[in-house]
Amino acid sequence: MLKAAQRGVTTAITHPVTLALVASFGLGGVIIAATGGAPLAAFSEMLAGGFTGRGLHNTLGRSIPIIGMALAVSLAFRAGFLNLGGEGQLLMGALAGTMVAITVPGPGVVVVPVALAAGAAVGAGWALLAALGQTHLQVPLLITSLLLNYVGRSITSYLVRFPFGAPGEPFATTVPVPEAGRIPRVTLIPGGRVSISLVFVLALAAVLAVLYRRSVGGYETEMVGLSGPFARYGGVNVRRHTLLVMAGAGAIGGMVGTHLVIGETFRYIDADMSAQSGIAWTGLMVSLLALNRPMLIIAAGLLFAGLQIGGFAMERATGVSWQLAQVIQALVIVALVSRFAVTWKRRRAEAQATAPDAPEGEDAHVGKV
Amino acid sequence: MTPELELRGITKEFPGVRACDGIDLTVKAGEIHCIVGENGAGKTTLMSILYGLLQPDAGHIVIGGRHTSIHSPLEAIDLGIGMVHQAFKLFPTLTVAENVVFRQEPSRRGVIDRRGASRRVRELADAYGLSVDPDAVVEELPVGVLQRVEILKALYRQASVLILDEPTAVLTPQERDRFFEVIRRLRDSGRTILFITHKLAEVMAVADSITVLRQGRSVAELDPAETTPEEISRHMTGRDVSPVRRGRTHTPGKVVLSVETLEVEGFHGLTAVDGVSLEVRAGEVVGIAAVAGNGQSELVEAIAGLRPVVAGTIHIGDQKVTHADVARRRRAGLSYIPEDRHRVGTVAAASISKNLMMGYQRSAQLRRGRWLSLAAVERHARQLCEHYSIKTHSVDAAAASLSGGNLQRIVVAREMSHDSPLLIAEQPTRGVDIGAIQFIHTQILDARDHGRGVLLISAELNEIQALSSRILVMFEGRIVAELDPDTVDEADIGLHMTGGAKVGA
Repeated sequence: MLKAAQRGVTTAITHPVTLALVASFGLGGVIIAATGGAPLAAFSEMLAGGFTGRGLHNTLGRSIPIIGMALAVSLAFRAGFLNLGGEGQLLMGALAGTMVAITVPGPGVVVVPVALAAGAAVGAGWALLAALGQTHLQVPLLITSLLLNYVGRSITSYLVRFPFGAPGEPFATTVPVPEAGRIPRVTLIPGGRVSISLVFVLALAAVLAVLYRRSVGGYETEMVGLSGPFARYGGVNVRRHTLLVMAGAGAIGGMVGTHLVIGETFRYIDADMSAQSGIAWTGLMVSLLALNRPMLIIAAGLLFAGLQIGGFAMERATGVSWQLAQVIQALVIVALVSRFAVTWKRRRAEAQATAPDAPEGEDAHVGKV
Repeated sequence: MTPELELRGITKEFPGVRACDGIDLTVKAGEIHCIVGENGAGKTTLMSILYGLLQPDAGHIVIGGRHTSIHSPLEAIDLGIGMVHQAFKLFPTLTVAENVVFRQEPSRRGVIDRRGASRRVRELADAYGLSVDPDAVVEELPVGVLQRVEILKALYRQASVLILDEPTAVLTPQERDRFFEVIRRLRDSGRTILFITHKLAEVMAVADSITVLRQGRSVAELDPAETTPEEISRHMTGRDVSPVRRGRTHTPGKVVLSVETLEVEGFHGLTAVDGVSLEVRAGEVVGIAAVAGNGQSELVEAIAGLRPVVAGTIHIGDQKVTHADVARRRRAGLSYIPEDRHRVGTVAAASISKNLMMGYQRSAQLRRGRWLSLAAVERHARQLCEHYSIKTHSVDAAAASLSGGNLQRIVVAREMSHDSPLLIAEQPTRGVDIGAIQFIHTQILDARDHGRGVLLISAELNEIQALSSRILVMFEGRIVAELDPDTVDEADIGLHMTGGAKVGA
C-alpha cells in the first residue's frame, strides 16, 4: 500500500508534464537572473498575483477563453486534425455573436443564447471551410485552417471598420452591446464577480470528457486520429467525422469569441480583438500540455491564466517584464515536446529491435505528442 | 579473403524481454549459414547487433580472430558486412545505379560520374547473374528486382559477409529458385551468407549449416545433410508441429460473395483489376494465388469498400454493395483480415481492448443505452484474448506491446468473432511464427466448417494448397486459371502465376 503510494509519487514526479514545468520555470529563473532580477522574488510575486485575492478572480476570468479554446483544440487534435484556425474561428464567431446581441431585441435569457448560437454557427462554418477543403479537395487542413486566420482577421477588421462600425469613434469598434445582450457576472467565490461563462466552460469540459470516453463517436474519432486507414477499414465514416469534429471545434471557438465581447468588453473593438486572438494559441498550448484531456485542460488552463495575470503583478512589484510569463508558457511546451521526442525515439528503436516486423514509421500523429 | 565470423555470448535485454540470451554463433568463411527461429526468437536482434544497429549488453564479436566492436552500420560496412533488410531501404525516385553507389559515388573532377556508375553497376550485376537495368528508376521496379538492387548495394560496398533478412518473402517460386542460384554463386566467390528465415524448405535447399534460435538462445546447430525439416521444426518450437490439413470437402452452400466483371483502378489510374468475376459460397475456401502486384490487393480493397469500383458489381449475400460504404458492407456480412496488420488491421497506440472493439462499437453487447459500457468493453476484450490465446498481461496495454504473432491474433480474433457469412483473409500468416500459422489455419478451416465462405489471398502456395477448396490464379488483373488443389502441384500454380502457362500452352 505504502509502496504503491510511493510509486505513484515517483511517477508523478518523473512524469514528462511535471518535468516540463520544472524545467521551464528553471529556465525562466535563469533568464530573470541573467537580466539582473531576483528569480525567487519574481516567481513568488507571480504566484501571489495570479492565485490570491483579486488576482484569483482575474485568473478565473482569464481562464474562460483559454480553457474554451483548449477544449476546441482538443476536439480536433484527438481526431488527428491539426486545426490551427482557432483565431479566425474565434474572430468570425465573435463579430457575428456581437452583431446579434446588438441587433436582436428581447430579454437577456433569449438574446444571450441566440448570440452565442450565432457565434457558434459562424465559427463552425469558418472551420468547415478548411474541413471541406480537406475532405473534398485534398487540401491539407493544417494549411487552410492556418491561412484562413488571416482572411478572417481582415474580414472582421473590414466589417467593424465600415458596415458595422460605430460612427464618430476614433477607432474601429461596434456600438456597445445593450445591457440585455451581456453575459451576467456572478459571485462564485467571495470577494469578486466572474462571468457566468466560467460555469458553462467547466460544464463543457465535463461533457467532452464523457463524450471522449464513453460515446461511440468519441471512440470513433479517437481511432480516426490514431489511424485513418484503421478507422476506414473498421467502417468509420472518416469524412463525416472530419466535418463534425471541425464544426464542433469551430463552434466552440465562435462561442469563446462571442463571450470575449458580450461577456467582457461589451463592444467589438478591432485592435483589442486582434490582440486577444492570441488566446487561440494559448489554448493550443494548454491542450498540448493537458494531453488533450478535458479535466487536465481545466487545470492547465487555470495555470496559464494565472501565469498571465500573475505576470502583470510580477512586473508591478519587481520590474521583471510580464512577457516572461509568455516565455515560460512557451518553454513548458518546448520542454514537453522535446521530452516526448526523446522517449519516442528510444521506444521506436527498441520496438524495431524486439519486434522484427515492427511498424515502419508510425503515422505522424499530432496532438498526442 | 573472407574471415571467419564468431559471436560469443551475445546478450541483449529490452524492458521485459531478453531478446538474446548468451548466443554463440560460429560462421565459417564462405558458407551459407541459415539462422532459423520463430518470431521473437532473437534472429533480427542478433543480426542488428552484428550490423552495428544495436549494442549488446554482454558478449562480443570476433572477426578473423580479432575482437571487434561495431558501433554503427558504417563500421559494419567497413568490416565488410552488408545487410539486406526485410523492408527495402531505397530512394524510389532515383535510378538503380544511383541507389547502389549512394555515398560512394564515382566522380570525375568533383562531379558525379553517372555513366561510370551505371557501367560499374552493370558489371557487378552481370558478374553475379543479378539481372538489373542500372538506369531503371527504382519505384517502377517489382519487389523481386528491388531485392537484387539491395544485394548489389552490399556487393558494391565490398561486403564479404552478407546478411539476408527473410529474403524470399516477396518472391515467386521461380524467382526464389533464381535467387538461390545467385546466393550460391556469391558463396562460391568466397563470400559468407547469413540467411535468416523461418521457411524450412528453403533451409533444406540452400544451407551449408544451420543454427536454430529459440527464445533468445541458440538451441541447435545442425548439418542439413543429417537433419530433417521435422527436426528443425521441433527445435524451433520446442514441440512437434503437424501441418494443418484441409480435411473433408463440404458441399458448398449459398453464395456469400459474388463479383461480376469487376474493374478497379490501381496506382496512376492504371487498370489493376480487369473484368474479374468470382463467387464464394458458404462452406468453401476460395484461394487466390498471385504474385504481388497482379491486382489481388485492389480486388480485395474493392470488395472491402476501400477502393472505388470503375465497372462491374459486387454482392455480399443478397445485397448489392458495389458502391456502398464499409459500414454497410460489414452489416451485409463482411469480415476482413487485411494484408497490412500494422497500418490497417490494428492501431499500435490504442489499447488492446480498443483494437478488439472496432466494428462492435455500435453493437448492443458493448453498450448500455446510448453509452459505451467500459465494463462490457473490457469483458469483451478479455473473452477474445482468452478464446484466441492472445498473450498479454492487460487488455489496457497498447497493441504496440504485442509481438507480430499476437498482433495478428488480435485481427483474427476480432474478425472471426463477428461470425459474418463472408471472411476475406489476405496474407493472414505473413511474418508470423509457426505456432500462430497453425492456429490461424485451424481458425480458417473452422470458419469454413461452420458454414462461412472464405476468400483467401496468399503468396504462400503451400498455404493456398493446404486450405483452399478451389484455387483461382490471378495474373495482370485477370483470373487466368481455376485449379483443383488436389491435382496441381506448386510448380503448376507458379507457372500460371507468372503467366507462363499461356505461353507454354
